[in-house]
Amino acid sequence: MNGVIARITLRQLVSRRRTLLLLLLGGVLVLVAGIFRLAGEEARALRFTAGLLNGLGAATLMPLVALLFGTGAIGAEIEDGTAVFLLAKPINRRTVVLTKLAVASACAIALTCAPMLVAGLLGAGGLGDGLVLGFVGAAAIGSVVYVAVFLALSLITSRALVFGLAYVLIWEGLLAGLFAGTRTLSVRQITLAFADAFADVPEEVFDAPLAVGTAAIVAAAVLLIATLIAIRRLRAFEIAGETA
Amino acid sequence: MSEQQAQHADTAAVELANVSRWYGNVVAVNDISFRLDGGVTGLLGPNGAGKSTLLHMIAGFLAPSSGSVTVAGAPSWRHPAMYRRIGLVPEHEAVYPFLSARQFAAANARLQGMDRAAADAAAARAIAMVELEDAADRAIGTYSKGMRQRAKVAAALVHDPSILLLDEPFNGMDPRQRLHMMSLLRGMAAEGRTILFSSHILEEVERLAERVLVIVAGRLAASGDFREIRRLMTDRPHTFTVRSSDDRALAAALLREPTIAGAALDGGLLTVRSTDFGAFSRAVSGVARRAQISLHELLPTDESLESVFSYLVRR
Repeated sequence: MNGVIARITLRQLVSRRRTLLLLLLGGVLVLVAGIFRLAGEEARALRFTAGLLNGLGAATLMPLVALLFGTGAIGAEIEDGTAVFLLAKPINRRTVVLTKLAVASACAIALTCAPMLVAGLLGAGGLGDGLVLGFVGAAAIGSVVYVAVFLALSLITSRALVFGLAYVLIWEGLLAGLFAGTRTLSVRQITLAFADAFADVPEEVFDAPLAVGTAAIVAAAVLLIATLIAIRRLRAFEIAGETA
Repeated sequence: MSEQQAQHADTAAVELANVSRWYGNVVAVNDISFRLDGGVTGLLGPNGAGKSTLLHMIAGFLAPSSGSVTVAGAPSWRHPAMYRRIGLVPEHEAVYPFLSARQFAAANARLQGMDRAAADAAAARAIAMVELEDAADRAIGTYSKGMRQRAKVAAALVHDPSILLLDEPFNGMDPRQRLHMMSLLRGMAAEGRTILFSSHILEEVERLAERVLVIVAGRLAASGDFREIRRLMTDRPHTFTVRSSDDRALAAALLREPTIAGAALDGGLLTVRSTDFGAFSRAVSGVARRAQISLHELLPTDESLESVFSYLVRR
């Protein structure tokens, strides 16, 4: 970790206008939970909360937050040219990638888990037999894996945002629902497996299709491979001249 | 001299050997070789000539497709440790807009490995060198183009590098700032630093550079002192204006010389065109003496870098 890179990355990530949109999206999650609480339908509170944290939290808020922070951690600097100042320093590229990954992950966790926690507490009227903390903990793991994938993607292509969005919408949103085999490589499904393992709720309230053991192995492998790819790509990263 | 000292003495600050770089079918830099060791060198060429590609290769941001680029004896590509020696001012205007120039320079110093106190002192020194003290604590996002450029130069100088690479460094600077920056760079070169800057503005290069590298269509069209380059181009007439005690008689005498391509008297001023700078310079006094004519003034009229550059581009 490098403190200077961490501070610059943090200021860069939080000062972007997109961060405000992510805060608004988190606000929507809390708002929906608040409306449900006001409706007073206590009998189906757990099921509602599981659906909300899954559908709006793990499936929508988490990947979008991670996508913007993951692709922006290095990608934004490459895009606007400021990466030159960072790369023209006697600093190991591994340090640059790990610092950026840590800061972007922390930002993603904060903007995903905080609204999910508040929404979960509101919806379930408490911790909901571990459901709320289970989802929050799982979302933290999912955010780190997502950020690593998107950060690596931003060093592979200048259209990381488009490809990342396509992965979330097509692979995770469509294919993972249709073909069971594709779920293993879905960060969302990995997250749900962890949420299921952490929570102590009946199957009819919430049940994840992927086994937590498989999810843990895949999450660790994806995190490691994505980070190694990012380090490798940054070591050989070229900044073209005027004629390129 | 020990073997190690001899090796060190032979190591150039920057050395390119048969360097080419292509993007697909486009050749950006074509078989360029040169070495730099101290002083100010201007990298001159029109936009798209390959200047930035060349600078980016020296700065370690691009791998050469063939040939080798070394900085202080080590390959520049994939060698972050060399950035301790290099200060880089990129052409890109973008600088972290939320940082002040002081914070930006200090951050660069910290990234060079200085502790906080040393970084703050180095940042203050660099800010003073580029005369940006008054705006040093304002966010760079509020700066004019020239101020941003000076903030970038301060950040590049903060670790006192022995090699300075500047891509179009005078962009956006007003004439006073430009003169100050030129004087600063000259002073740094006098202290033994190697400075390479690119420009497409001939006047900048002519005023600052001791040595010129002219890049045209990816090739090194010429290198050396620009006046020397001009003289080497013997296949192009050189023009001189001459004032003497009898311009008409001198013109007639000069036209008998084989190196004189033409002479004209226009508005009382004798203009002579020669195909050989050296031969003409040596011959003119003898011709005048034999014709018993006094020479008052002899001036080359096309020694500007503009004329050299235009000629090279046309060739």
